[in-house]
Amino acid sequence: MRKGKLWSLALIMLLVLSTALAACGDDGKKEGASNSGDSGKSGGKEKTLVFGRGGDSTSLDPSRVTEGETFKVTVNLFETLVNFGEEDTTIHPGLAKEWETSDDGLTYTFHLQEGVKFHDGSDFNADAVVANFARWAGGDAEMFPYYSSMFGGFNGDEEAVIESVTAEDENTVVFKLKRAQAPFLKNLAMSMFAISSPEAFAKGDDDYERNPVGTGPFKFVEWKPNDSITIEKNEDYWQEGLPKLDKVVFRSIPDNAARLNALTIGEIDLADGINPSDGEKIENDSNLQLFERPSMNVGYLGLTVTRPPFDKKEVRQAMNYAIDKQTIIDSFFEGRAEMAKNPMPSSISGYNDDIEEYEYNPEKAKELLKEAGLPDGFEMELWAMPVPRPYMPDGTKVAEVIQKNLADVGIKAKIVSYEWATYLDKASKGEADAFMLGWTGDNGDADNFLYVLLDEDNIGSNNYTYFKNEETHKLFLEAQTEVDEDKRNELYEKAQEILHDEAPWVPLAHSTPLLGGAADLTGFVPHPTGSDLLSNVDFK
Amino acid sequence: MSELSPKIDGIAEGQIEKESGPWRDAWRSFRKSKVAVVGMVVVVFFVLLAVFAPFIAPQGINDQNMADRLHPPSAEYWFGTDDFGRDILSRIIHGARISLAVGFFSVIGSVVVGSILGIVAGYYGRWVDIIISRIFDIMLAFPSILLAIAIVAVLGPSLQNALIAIATINVPNFGRLIRSKVLSIKEDEYITSAKAIGMKDVRILFSHILPNSMAPVIVQGTLAIATAILEAAALGFLGLGAQAPSPEWGKMLADSRDYLQSAPWTMIFPGLAIMLTVLGFNLMGDGLRDALDPKMKS
Repeated sequence: MRKGKLWSLALIMLLVLSTALAACGDDGKKEGASNSGDSGKSGGKEKTLVFGRGGDSTSLDPSRVTEGETFKVTVNLFETLVNFGEEDTTIHPGLAKEWETSDDGLTYTFHLQEGVKFHDGSDFNADAVVANFARWAGGDAEMFPYYSSMFGGFNGDEEAVIESVTAEDENTVVFKLKRAQAPFLKNLAMSMFAISSPEAFAKGDDDYERNPVGTGPFKFVEWKPNDSITIEKNEDYWQEGLPKLDKVVFRSIPDNAARLNALTIGEIDLADGINPSDGEKIENDSNLQLFERPSMNVGYLGLTVTRPPFDKKEVRQAMNYAIDKQTIIDSFFEGRAEMAKNPMPSSISGYNDDIEEYEYNPEKAKELLKEAGLPDGFEMELWAMPVPRPYMPDGTKVAEVIQKNLADVGIKAKIVSYEWATYLDKASKGEADAFMLGWTGDNGDADNFLYVLLDEDNIGSNNYTYFKNEETHKLFLEAQTEVDEDKRNELYEKAQEILHDEAPWVPLAHSTPLLGGAADLTGFVPHPTGSDLLSNVDFK
Repeated sequence: MSELSPKIDGIAEGQIEKESGPWRDAWRSFRKSKVAVVGMVVVVFFVLLAVFAPFIAPQGINDQNMADRLHPPSAEYWFGTDDFGRDILSRIIHGARISLAVGFFSVIGSVVVGSILGIVAGYYGRWVDIIISRIFDIMLAFPSILLAIAIVAVLGPSLQNALIAIATINVPNFGRLIRSKVLSIKEDEYITSAKAIGMKDVRILFSHILPNSMAPVIVQGTLAIATAILEAAALGFLGLGAQAPSPEWGKMLADSRDYLQSAPWTMIFPGLAIMLTVLGFNLMGDGLRDALDPKMKS
């Protein structure tokens, strides 16, 4: 009898539990739906867009970092002198409405928009531009890591590109260069060289990182670290009728599955970092729409050339032969990627399509290992990024495939991972044998891939492999000053041949990052740089 | 789980010392409980799986077959395949080795260390007792999984370090159990007489007190294997335990999270394996407790 009672009790508990759980599920849905209804559809009320993304920004002063999650926010707070196109990296007027270039390419004169004000009420004018460039040029690589990469160096450095920035009158700025720089305008359009209010950054750099003041369509409201960043409409924005939204909340949801779930139940309106495997699901859901970001990135396996046995070219080439890229792309990018053979994607001019890629050939890899004096393989650490990145949706999974590929040719790889910031820091110090990493181009120029990632000037910042080559160094510097497009492309094509032979990387894939949005979202155009301007976004 | 000890304290010492009688009684009463026998059958089943894993498993643990990735359960792959096209059945069978080994060895570790500390604390008392007991209290003040995470974070993530962490967090449970048992035994007359005839402390401790304190440890140990398996799975899930490509069940669960909706079998089977082993050890442990507890005897 006692047993019978126990069973019926268990049954009742189960029923109660299931009802309670079912109720929970319903509640969640209703709440989510009504939330987005409030924010989106009713035209009279405030229109709030919640943008879910994989990580938090590290700073809100874009000139201080090289990291994409920051630019995703700051591109909406700040503006640059010239802008990129809506979905490409062509040059369009920004804070400068027009400009002239001297014939020798050494003088640029910008005519600025009139009547533009910073969020703090101060005027945007030629003096503000001068003050911003003076601030950057007076800094160092620790402060403004990207400035020296793009403009050769700081005040007093021999290789610095910019000689002077002067205000000719209230609305005219003149840039004088020491040597011509082909991608100069593209560099100026990058989010990190956006113009800040000089009054605001004069209060101190560390304070400014948390209280950004720009001229952009949105104003900064608050930043809850690792949770959310809120920005609101700039009522005095100089472009009539923009922005269309009243408020944007950037929420950090590190887990891809959780972020997709939040999108499905309407907790967020837009999500980046959608798993390739979930793309089809979003396409088939009538409440959602799928966005494809134009591909301008590369995911790679870097081989630290200062660490044996990767100091041997044969070993690096063997790694290239050993890894089965096609399987990786089919399985973990669901085919939404192009196989990589060069360090930059084919959409960028200067891409060398004549290069014959290393095919998947374990036998060849073994031969090369034998030539290098390592017939029995070796042991190594294989570093895999702990977080999903746009160029690599699931680093640890891909690492497992690579681990197996390497085991097949006798190389024993141990997969190692650290927290993301530590990972980058340790890798940049050259502590990894081989590490997975990637890059999303910031201005669509070959220089922004090849020179930034593989030149000796950038060892310690973005050249994690410590690769050094005199020939490519010469080619890169020559290409920077070469204004003739065809000649410039030739130089880059030649550099790619050398890089292919030296093989400091195993280039893996150029992925097409996916985003998901609510079906009633309009005007959202994903930008190839990964920083999306949201001023045209609206709800139906 | 130290609340078990007062119940078991009542075992008459003589019963255990003469091996056959009391143990046979215990087995008889254990057998009476059907639930406990079911638990034991489950445990034995998994132990056999673990021991003969290489002979039973149809495939190796890291035979990647990308053409058949995320294949649903079928005649060829009984439990389906994971996102690397590896046979889940084979991985679960090999995973039994890892989980049972972690469960078993971590408990042995905590029993050995816990027993020594518990006996010393209980027998010598005074400041030795105070120091050891306070250390136990401090360790018990932390949520056990948090302490385990902290230990692994210091030592670095690997299966071996996960085992060490799990063994460490369980030490105070056994230590306190033994200490309370020793406290009551050392007042018994046969210990007093052993002291009176001039027997050395070490001999009293290891040939009289220790064997007489073992019954509750066996019960607690069986139950602790279950929690240890769960904790190992939790650490594996968090990426702090076994590393790729090891087929640890918790790690298999974590790796399959993205496929919860599209390929549920990748999560269901490792989850079931964890649940069944833990259930098996718990049922068996409950049965053992009833069998070894004289108060439950009718």
